[in-house]
Amino acid sequence: MQTNSSGAAAMTPLNVLIVDDSATMRALLYRVVGLADLPIGAIYQAPNGAEALKVLETHSIQAVFTDVNMPVMNGMELLREMARRDEWQNILRIIISTDGSRLRREEARELQVSLYVEKPFRPEVVRDVLCQIASVDVH
Amino acid sequence: MSSAKSPALTSTDQDALQSAVIEVCENAYFVFVETCDAPQFATLVEQVRAEGGRGPSGRWLHASVAFNGHSTGQVEVVLPERLGTWLVVSLLGLPADTTLQDNQLLDGVGEFANMVCGAWLSKANETASFTLEMPKVTRLPAGWAPDPTPTGDEQAYRTVVVNEMPLEVRAR
Repeated sequence: MQTNSSGAAAMTPLNVLIVDDSATMRALLYRVVGLADLPIGAIYQAPNGAEALKVLETHSIQAVFTDVNMPVMNGMELLREMARRDEWQNILRIIISTDGSRLRREEARELQVSLYVEKPFRPEVVRDVLCQIASVDVH
Repeated sequence: MSSAKSPALTSTDQDALQSAVIEVCENAYFVFVETCDAPQFATLVEQVRAEGGRGPSGRWLHASVAFNGHSTGQVEVVLPERLGTWLVVSLLGLPADTTLQDNQLLDGVGEFANMVCGAWLSKANETASFTLEMPKVTRLPAGWAPDPTPTGDEQAYRTVVVNEMPLEVRAR
């Protein structure tokens, strides 16, 4: 596997979708994703699961960061919808939520979530783990 | 939390609430939190009042997040607008002199309260899942200032110092 000058694996740029009802959290995650030592393509944003589905329908997305508690359609409903679609099976699923309960984590595991990050989080933790799982799971 | 409400503030709940504030401030905002007694809090409130004409304003923000699940209730945070601005700027890594738009400030302070509420609930019951309502953030009237005493219906109440500014948090 070739690597580029920054040390990132030579791979297709990741298009990322950030789903959170808080504009502040979307802005924070936008910054964190940008810090990752990965080739990042486009970063899309949606304020809830329903809007996220529209983005998934119309764009090629490789990684989804989603909150859980959101109006209109929450993060677990979004993930259940994604699980029904064959063409979305290879998308990385990352939950960023204040709800770190065991029940919610087990539910997330069943919905193919690669990483469950509890708020508050240190930005470098998300950045580092994203680099690890993206270089293994997406190419 | 309504299912476990007690008229007396227990040290366990108090400690959990303080730990939640510390965890949020240190992990997401990279700032230390100091405990603060009522006289010290009153002194800091007076400083905020004296600063009324400087900075964003001398006004206070009230953020609340209601929760449902194993129990129901809400967490409330009261802080000076200047501290709210500082928290949002810090979280987003913006230059210190950034002027926030009002919706940025209110959304960011709501997210702070959201994180404190979630952290507190997780500490209170690791296994129970919960749902948080959308944060509600309001700017309190000019001249208003907190009276650092529990109102009597809280499950937990704390006053702390964040970046040399006062912050009051209660759960009920």
